[in-house]
Amino acid sequence: MSIKQSTARRTARAVGFHAVSILVSALFVLPLIWMFAASLRQPGLPPPRSIEWLPAPLVWSNYVRVFQILPLGHYVFNSLLVAGATVPITLITASLAGFAMAQLSRRGQDRLIILSVILLIIPTTAVWLARFILFRSLGLFNTHAALIAPSIMGSSPLFVLLFFWSFRRIPLELYEAARMDGASPLNIWWRVALPLSGATIVVVSILTFLLYWGDFITPLFYLKSQTLYTLPVGLRQLQELDRTNWPLLLAGSVVMTLPAVLLFAVVQRFFLQENRLTGIYGQ
Amino acid sequence: MLMPYLLGAVVLVGLPALLSLILAFTRYDGMSAPVWVGWFNFRIVLANPVDLLFPISLYNTLYFIILAVPMRVLSALALAMWLNRRGRGVGLYRTAVYLPTIIPDVAYALIWMWIFNPLYGPLNLILTALGLPTPGWLADAEFAKLVFVVMAAFQIGEGFVVLLAGLQNIPPEYYAAAAVDGGSTWQQFRYITLPLLAPWLLLLTLRDIILSSQNIFTANFIMTNGDPYYSTLFLPLLIYEEAFDRMHFGPGSAMTVLLGIVTAALIGFILSIVGNWGETHVD
Repeated sequence: MSIKQSTARRTARAVGFHAVSILVSALFVLPLIWMFAASLRQPGLPPPRSIEWLPAPLVWSNYVRVFQILPLGHYVFNSLLVAGATVPITLITASLAGFAMAQLSRRGQDRLIILSVILLIIPTTAVWLARFILFRSLGLFNTHAALIAPSIMGSSPLFVLLFFWSFRRIPLELYEAARMDGASPLNIWWRVALPLSGATIVVVSILTFLLYWGDFITPLFYLKSQTLYTLPVGLRQLQELDRTNWPLLLAGSVVMTLPAVLLFAVVQRFFLQENRLTGIYGQ
Repeated sequence: MLMPYLLGAVVLVGLPALLSLILAFTRYDGMSAPVWVGWFNFRIVLANPVDLLFPISLYNTLYFIILAVPMRVLSALALAMWLNRRGRGVGLYRTAVYLPTIIPDVAYALIWMWIFNPLYGPLNLILTALGLPTPGWLADAEFAKLVFVVMAAFQIGEGFVVLLAGLQNIPPEYYAAAAVDGGSTWQQFRYITLPLLAPWLLLLTLRDIILSSQNIFTANFIMTNGDPYYSTLFLPLLIYEEAFDRMHFGPGSAMTVLLGIVTAALIGFILSIVGNWGETHVD
């Protein structure tokens, strides 16, 4: 009887856990659902009387119109161009730095970790005015190069650290063996370290892409010509055209959010699923 | 191999940080050569008799930080503890919690403008259905700042993942030993989880304080631009307007420096509290 009781209690607890979890999950997904539902409303309709989960009629043509009102397709292309350029540059610079860090003495490593954490918490607001003046004097104003520039330092110190942690987990004997065979450090980085860090490469690639895909501040500061605009500034332009056309504004938001959600679906298993967390974030 | 990273850090962060510090003491309109003016910019920012925008926006920024940061850290902790288990569905729940964090800033701002729209927004439709009062939210100086706090409370994915990793690094034997000794759930939390997570919690809190002023800019710019009656004028927006609309790079840099000083003071205050807290509970 006591066994029966304890299984009953365990079932009740499991049901309670899932009920609360589903409620919490729903709360966090709700903004996305509402965005999608509102993007299908007919523009110009009066406010609904009660909450609308799916508008009637469903106006899919909002997604066509949003590309007609503004050259949104061109902006998407520009965003892909910028984000696409930053991914390989970031992979090279961040992994090189991470690799060099992994070869250093313990003290050198600690110093670079501290430096990276400091860099990580310096807000861009602290440097944006001066960086603007610097970039303008370098002739980067109104070019995509200004948007791509941060990838030269690996985009984010976090990416350097991720590569460092990943490379440090590779057994030292492998590096030693390669060195004995006369491989240069660059050779070891390319032939030994990188091939063994597939998960980190995928994670850093996707996080880098998302970083530049959603970046609004840099293009706002540096881009003057409409032909150079990326999607985030394009969406701002759409808002300035008509602040009250919510269906179109949210259709544009869906266009911008969808690739992020899809890429996140690929990458989430690397750092949200069971027992993988320590793989990426732990030492 | 470290060169690109370190050079990038100097050119993109170090040099601009130094330059802002110098610019704060000059008159510079972006065209003619800067002129040294000593403390003039700081005097005009802090004690301008006609224009109290700096104190107002400093108040708004601190208001946001003091409400949003504890809320973000505590809810990330609560969710990480709740979802730190194995089993079916857990990965899905974690993904749901992370989802708002990956939405690009401009889209995220537009979504919340829609949710908080007084007439069309789903939130007020729900409140109406429940017979509750329906404020004007972003149009109402009393509630507008709170909208930004609510928005920030949903983007907690990074803190959530870091704390989840921290929890998974705690050896299960600690809890097993506590269970043998008859420790209650609260005691396990108080004497095992909390002390072992404390460094992570502190790091997240400090990082959030420093970065929240940066993270709020895009939403601020898209959603309210400081309205109504400057009630949502946060410091980064004021700095942006001062520098890029009025071409006052000197006062803009002075505000940047002052923001840095206030942030540092806030962090010093927290560290002094935490330092004492650790000592008195050392037994």
